[in-house]
Amino acid sequence: MAAGGLVIWSAVMCVLLHAARPGRSPLGETGARRLIVWGGAVFPSATLLILLAYALWLMPGLRPAALAAGEEPLRIEVTGKQFWWRVAYHLDDGTSVISANEIRLPVGQRVELTLNSADVIHSFWIPALGGKMDMVPGRTNRLSLVATKAGNYRGPCAEFCGPSHALMAFSAVAMEPGGFRSWLAQQAAPSDASEGDGIDLFMKHGCASCHRINGTEAQGLIGPDLSHIGSRETIGAGILPNTAAAIARFISEPDVIKPGSKMPAFRMLPPEDIRAIATYLKGLE
Amino acid sequence: MSAVDTKPATGRHEAQTKRLRSVWANPTGWRYWTSVNNYQVGLWYASAAFGFMLFAGILALLVRLQLAVPENDFLSANFYNQAFTLHGTVMMFLFAVPIFEAVAIFLLPPMLGARELPFPRLGAFGFWSFLVGGIFVCGSIFFGAAPSSGWFMYPPLSTDKELSGIGADIWLLGLSFIEIASIAAAVELIVGIMKCRAPGMRINLMPLFAWYLLIVAGMILFAFPPLIAGDLLFEMERMFDWPFFDAARGGDPLLWQHLFWIFGHPEVYIIFLPAIALMAMIVPTFAQRPIVGYSWIVLAAVGTGFLSFGLWVHHMFATGLPQISLAFFSAASEAVAIPTGVQIFVFIATMLAGRVIFSVPMLFGAGGLAIFIIGGLTGVMVALAPFDWQAHDTYFVVGHLHYVLVGGMLFPVIAGVYYYYPLLDARKLSERLGTIAFWLMFAGFNIAFFPMHISGLRGMPRRVFTYPAGLGWDWLNLISTLGAFIFATGVLIVVVDVLRPKHREPRREVNPWNAGTLEWITEPEENWGVRSIPQVESRYPLWDQKTLARDVNLGRFYLPDAEEGRREGLVTSVLDANPLQVLRVGGTAYVTIVSAFSLGAVFIALTFHWWLATLACGIIAFCAIVYWLWTGTGEIPEKPEKNVGLGLTLPLYSSGPASAGWWAMFITMTGDGTALASLIFGYFFYWTIHPDFTAGIAGPGAFWPMAALVLFAAAWLLMLAARAMNSRGATTALRTCLALSGALTIAASAAAAYAPWSYDMDPVRHVYPAIVWILVLWVLVHAALGAVMQFYCLARSVAGRLTPEHDMDLHNVVLYWHFLLVTAATVLTVVGLFPMAM
Amino acid sequence: MRLLPREMETLWTLFTAPIIWAVHFLVCYVGAAIYCAKPGLFGFGFGAVRGGIGALTAVALVLILLSAWLAWRQWGFGAEDPPHDDATRRDRRLFQGFATLLLCGLSFVAVIFVALPALFMTECLR
Repeated sequence: MAAGGLVIWSAVMCVLLHAARPGRSPLGETGARRLIVWGGAVFPSATLLILLAYALWLMPGLRPAALAAGEEPLRIEVTGKQFWWRVAYHLDDGTSVISANEIRLPVGQRVELTLNSADVIHSFWIPALGGKMDMVPGRTNRLSLVATKAGNYRGPCAEFCGPSHALMAFSAVAMEPGGFRSWLAQQAAPSDASEGDGIDLFMKHGCASCHRINGTEAQGLIGPDLSHIGSRETIGAGILPNTAAAIARFISEPDVIKPGSKMPAFRMLPPEDIRAIATYLKGLE
Repeated sequence: MSAVDTKPATGRHEAQTKRLRSVWANPTGWRYWTSVNNYQVGLWYASAAFGFMLFAGILALLVRLQLAVPENDFLSANFYNQAFTLHGTVMMFLFAVPIFEAVAIFLLPPMLGARELPFPRLGAFGFWSFLVGGIFVCGSIFFGAAPSSGWFMYPPLSTDKELSGIGADIWLLGLSFIEIASIAAAVELIVGIMKCRAPGMRINLMPLFAWYLLIVAGMILFAFPPLIAGDLLFEMERMFDWPFFDAARGGDPLLWQHLFWIFGHPEVYIIFLPAIALMAMIVPTFAQRPIVGYSWIVLAAVGTGFLSFGLWVHHMFATGLPQISLAFFSAASEAVAIPTGVQIFVFIATMLAGRVIFSVPMLFGAGGLAIFIIGGLTGVMVALAPFDWQAHDTYFVVGHLHYVLVGGMLFPVIAGVYYYYPLLDARKLSERLGTIAFWLMFAGFNIAFFPMHISGLRGMPRRVFTYPAGLGWDWLNLISTLGAFIFATGVLIVVVDVLRPKHREPRREVNPWNAGTLEWITEPEENWGVRSIPQVESRYPLWDQKTLARDVNLGRFYLPDAEEGRREGLVTSVLDANPLQVLRVGGTAYVTIVSAFSLGAVFIALTFHWWLATLACGIIAFCAIVYWLWTGTGEIPEKPEKNVGLGLTLPLYSSGPASAGWWAMFITMTGDGTALASLIFGYFFYWTIHPDFTAGIAGPGAFWPMAALVLFAAAWLLMLAARAMNSRGATTALRTCLALSGALTIAASAAAAYAPWSYDMDPVRHVYPAIVWILVLWVLVHAALGAVMQFYCLARSVAGRLTPEHDMDLHNVVLYWHFLLVTAATVLTVVGLFPMAM
Repeated sequence: MRLLPREMETLWTLFTAPIIWAVHFLVCYVGAAIYCAKPGLFGFGFGAVRGGIGALTAVALVLILLSAWLAWRQWGFGAEDPPHDDATRRDRRLFQGFATLLLCGLSFVAVIFVALPALFMTECLR
């Protein structure tokens, strides 16, 4: 399409430059009119008709409704929130595995995404794997994808959703099916629930009122699920590397790192408490 | 017909010239600002629009600075969001649309050989409204209170009061006010082009600029009302919590997207067509031959006008609508490229068929074309849904839209500035500075915007205030920022060239480019448009009618004098421009400014919820407008007819479809009907998205709506009777009918309001009662206006200003009542009967 | 008495074909949108929707052809070439005829474009 566009543009430019040349002989009235008919009307109509037909033919295949016979899709529900993503893997046995800001997909298996929003309009997009689909409050959209190659892809929010729209992304990790299955099993298990300072401080400073850690008393649902957060690629919805230091920084100043985010800043806590919580969270593999 | 070829008695000619000049003269001193003349208003309008453009340009430079390097902290997220929102808003609403209104107000009368547009005070009112609204919207950023939800204002981000502060109200109310001004301009332009052309300027001889503007004004009439309807729903949600876009209570954010883009896509063509219209004036002049394919241009203008209304959903390809819906809009979006292609080839063919003189206007024109074609080609790509799913909301689209708007609008407008500047000052702008500016702008533009296509395809989303390093976007963005500053330097040179003092340069002849159309006939100092209104016999009268300019300026054609000291023009027939009537237009007045400022104050006070101030300003605005109508319209002339010269005598008064005012009412009410249609669309939209759209809420029943409808119909019949009685001279019967009809209007309104009231429908609870109430309110407001008009006619009759022969007011009010009846019938039938049918 | 007078002295005939396009477009879009939003409301399948679009398209195309024939007649069956720029009523009418004819052509193509989706879409996919 780009090549075709380049050819058309160059052709028109040549004619335009020719028209600008001093001393050429003017074109006759009939010739000029013929140019309008063929160049302005007939050629574009024919080209556009072909292009349109091709695109329309493509559409149903890109976003199919029915699955091929025998295809067993993986069902993932993603909910957009300001400014992070809640991810739920709905398993065949009726249970769900909850996670946030990271989506793992098995290579070669079709993935059926159910897309919602909890507050404003977001848009779900993994550029390397397919087109985008909006997440509209009150509506449920579907998107169907197949990853053909293992890899780690970035997915940004594609609809302007507020101050930190630019800071809302996720990582999409396409894994070999075997690796994916064991990863999912591990995620379904309770997070490492070691007794100790970390979880105590986490509970004491009220983190649990918003966050959930599977297997502990922390069952808050307002913020991202932190179960197994240590195993994720990034933190803060795709904006910081997953290190204890970065987690500590996020805890103390989310308002600076992510303007408009709902999480209050905890910079008044003793630094050692923050470090302890961060280390604990990083350890939840 | 040829003008008399004897030299006029010099003394008489001088006296005529003097009288005419003084009638059209501007007031002096600070009262200069009360002028309503099209040259002044056009110039102010254009200057203000350019001022807003420079302001928005500076915002764009800030945005580019912020994006120059990854993870930059030059701007805060909040300020960045305000800046890009305001950049888009200002460029669209305060520059691109108003600049065309400005150019049209300035150029159309002389181009059509008219003295003025038919409603000069309305034009001035539009300008002052625009200025007040524009300053209000732009000023907000200095208080950190600018809108920050994007120029598209998608709810719920922009309806939620915690997520978007007062900026959203400023956007809604400030721009609603400007939209109303745009519709006023559209009314004025349509009537001006259809009814005020010089005698003999048949529709096949009309300058192409006028053809384009006619189509564009028509498009405004159908494109802006949906947005006004959307604004109404939006502001009701923000102010009173009516849940039109709140999914939790049955609303739907997508309704706003529909209404916004039904406006938003035609808007692109509303911006593009007038700029191309300038090209259609410039290209023949520099090819020194008539345009090839005049009819093809008409085809392109009309075709684009229609097709552009079938594109809106291509802004919503990723919202999850059924694919077949997307496919229809994809198809229409491809089809609209055909008339656009025709336009480009008309220009190319005209250039090929002539010998092109390459001067600065032509340079900007051709450069604009080169840029626009790229925008058009990428447009063809994004119009295909599969491609758009990838490119949507990325920098690819940012690149595309700037190629379309800058190439299709800004470059032609600057070409127009260089071309038409001699009309202001009798001097040309600098050829040298113009050439430098062009190359800076052309190169800068491409350097800035071409890389955006690539960064978009590499996955960079729009509207991000920062981005991480290492995604392959870094150097592309740096190049874009450099290009933006080169581009800005070019714009700055244009500004310098326009503003630098030129009084030392020699004056040039009146028609320096040897153009063929009528606007090049008049000295820049004269305010009268044309010295006498010519008889036109060609598409390019200055080329084909050799003695025309001399004869016009010697006052040998129509209306060379102003014996009665009034500003006068001719009304001619639509198709063949046969002279029909002398139209006396309003002159210098304070009332336009007072009306615009007080109405502006209403909107500003509403923003801050100052209810008392709103009420007070509303009363002032109402009184000002009534005073304006009372003193400035429907005036009974001192004699029935007047000799306009060349042996022709025309009436000074006409009413009904023969009058300009009737057409203005008709056109306004067409726009009003479009707004109602948008609200009705909303009603059925809610029906489609819910299994039971009433959510079990009862009301408004069938009885009261039907009763109200019967009463409205009776009131309407009485208005017909009133008109018939008046034409028979039965004054008492007229007044009785008016009074009775007024009483029935009140009864009908009460019945309509009682319908939802009696069921205790609470508009805050769910969207169903809210949409019913808003429709009923729509009828009530229109009924109240109808009642005011009835009272106005009654008062005019008592004051002796409405007589059996002079019944313009009554005709216009009855016309309003036709529309009111349709409005009431539609709304009451829908809200009363549809829930039962379901 | 003729159903269609030989001389239509109005500007509005110019817009006939684009208005037919607009009606065709709106009916197709609104019809399909309501069908997909409320499938339970109708007793027929998507094939019937596609058939309906096809039938509607045929009607629209015939109407546009009719209006094109009228325009052609107004243009004097192409006896004279443009530019039709004489200051006569005759040339004004020829211009109107020719411009209307061109618009019929554009509308004809545009109606076909808009009908294409019915060829490729086989169900209410989202």
